[in-house]
Amino acid sequence: MATLHSPAVRGGRLRALLYVLPALIVVVGIVYLGIGYNAYVSTLEWSGIGDDRRPVGIDNYIGVFTDPVFWTSLSHVAIFAVVTIAAQMAIGLTMAILLSGRIFLGGVYKVVMFLPVVLSPAAIAVAFRDILSPGGGLNEALRAIGLDGLTRAWIAEPETALMAIAVINIWAWTGFSFILYQAALAQVDTDLIEAAQLDGAGKLRTLWSVVVPQLSGTHATLVLIGVIGALKTFDIVYLTTGGGPGRSTEFLTTYIYKTAIDGFQAGYAAALSMVLLLLSLLLTLIQMRANRFGRS
Amino acid sequence: MFGRLRTRDRVVLQVLATLIAIPFAYPIIVIVATSFEGQGAIENYTAVLTRTPFLRFLANSAIIAGGTIVITFVCTMLAAYAFSKLRFPGRQMLFVVVLGGLVLPAIALIVPIFTIMLGLGLMNTHIAVILPLAAITIPFTVLLAKNFLDGVPDEILEAAKIDGANTLGTLFWIVLPLARPIIAVVLVWTFLQSWNEFFLPLLLLQSSDMQAVTQVPLYFTSEYGSDTPKIFASLVLISLPVTIAYLSLQKLFERGLTAGAVK
Repeated sequence: MATLHSPAVRGGRLRALLYVLPALIVVVGIVYLGIGYNAYVSTLEWSGIGDDRRPVGIDNYIGVFTDPVFWTSLSHVAIFAVVTIAAQMAIGLTMAILLSGRIFLGGVYKVVMFLPVVLSPAAIAVAFRDILSPGGGLNEALRAIGLDGLTRAWIAEPETALMAIAVINIWAWTGFSFILYQAALAQVDTDLIEAAQLDGAGKLRTLWSVVVPQLSGTHATLVLIGVIGALKTFDIVYLTTGGGPGRSTEFLTTYIYKTAIDGFQAGYAAALSMVLLLLSLLLTLIQMRANRFGRS
Repeated sequence: MFGRLRTRDRVVLQVLATLIAIPFAYPIIVIVATSFEGQGAIENYTAVLTRTPFLRFLANSAIIAGGTIVITFVCTMLAAYAFSKLRFPGRQMLFVVVLGGLVLPAIALIVPIFTIMLGLGLMNTHIAVILPLAAITIPFTVLLAKNFLDGVPDEILEAAKIDGANTLGTLFWIVLPLARPIIAVVLVWTFLQSWNEFFLPLLLLQSSDMQAVTQVPLYFTSEYGSDTPKIFASLVLISLPVTIAYLSLQKLFERGLTAGAVK
C-alpha cells in the first residue's frame, strides 16, 4: 500500500470507531432518532400526551400546505432573512473596513460590535421589548433629537412589528459578520490593491472592485448561516411579540411551538417541523452547490 | 489596507465608525442605566439576589452548562481526533452524519424531545436539557476541532508512534496539549450555547425551582409585574458570566470562531 496515505496513527481499524462512537450516540440518538420519531408522529392525529393516536396518512401535510398561517409565517421568515442578512453584511463589512484604517480606540469599537453576539437572545429580547415600547428608550432618543413625529409603539403595531424584530436581530448579530469580515480582510491580497491604485483607481473604487469580490467566501458563509439562523429564530420573537399582534410576526418556529404546546396538536406540529427541517436542508444544499460552482 | 492615510481621511473614518457604533452601544447603556433607576442600584440588585430564587436559577444554569460542557468536550475531542488522524471504514460518511446536525433547529424536535423526556420520566431534570443541548452543539464543535487538528502535522504523531505510544496515549500526551487553543474555544462556545439557551429549559423545566437563568425575566414578569429596573438588574446579572468569559478570552475566541467558519 502507498505509505503516503498511511494514517498518522495506526491502530485497529474498528477500534478507531470507538473514538467517534460517543459523539455518534449523542447526535444520532437525539437528532436522527428524533427526526425519525417526528416523521412517524407527523402521520398521526394526536394530542401529544394521551393514548389518542389516530393514523391519518399525509393529511397533516396537506393541512400544512393549505394553511394560510403556514404561508404567512414563511413569508415573514423570508422577509426577515433578506432584511437581516443584507443589513448585517453591509454594516459588518463597512465597520470592518473602517476599523482596518487603524482608528483611535479601535479595540473598544470592536467589543461594542461583538458583545451583543455573546449575550443571551432571551435577555436581549426582554431589554428591547422595553426599549421599543411607547415610553421606551428609542422614542425617548427620537424626542431628544426633535423627531417626535416618528415615535410609535414599535412592537405593538402590525405595520412595524416585523421590522422591529429584524432590527433586534441586526443589533444582536452584526458583530458576527463584522468579525468574519475582519478576519477575511486580513487575508486580502495587497498586491492587487496596489496594482489597482497604480492604475489610478480611487480608494472607494478599489474597495468595491478589488476587495469586495475577494471576500466571496465570507459572503457565502454569512448568507448560509443567516438563512439557517432566520429559520431557527425563536427566542426574540416569542419574548417580544409572541407572533402578534394578530399573526403579523408569526414565524414557523413560534407557530410550531404554539401548535404543539398550547394547541395540543402534536401530529400537526410534527408535520410543520418536518417541513421546516426539509426547508433548511434544501436551502443549505442549494447554497453549498451554488458556492462550489461559483468558485470553480 | 488603505496604505497611509491623510489626517482628514482618518477623521472621516473615525466619525463614520462612531456613527455606526452608537446604535450598538446605546441599548447596553440603557439596560445598565435603567437597572440603577427606581429604588436605586443597591436596592434593585439586592432585591434580585435575595428576594427571588435568582441564585437557585443561577445554580441550575451552572449545572446545565457544566454537564453540557463535559459531554460535549469528551465527545468532540475523541471524534475530532479520529476524523482527523485515524483511518477507519465509513470515516467520511460518519463525519457527514455528525455534521448533519448543524442545520437542524432544536425547535424542529419539539415533539420527540418532549414525548421522549416525558416517557422516560426526565421532565424537570437537568439531564433532559443537557442531552439535547450537547446533541445540537457537538456538530459545530467537532467541525471546529477537526479543522484545527487537520493543521497539526502528522509527523509529530508518527514520532510518538515510534516512541511506542498507543492511539489513546498519543491523544492524551501529544494531541491535547497541542490543541489547547481550540479546546478553549470549544469550552467557551459550549458555555455560551448552554448558558444562553432559552427554548429547551422553557419546554422541559417547568417547575419553578428547576428553571434556568434565561427564564428569569419571564418569572419576574409573572411574579412581580413589570418592575423594569429590577428586571434589567437581573438581565445585567445573567449577562455577566458570558461577558466576562468573552472579554477574558476575546482573542482566542474570535480566532477559533473565524477558523471554523471561514474555511
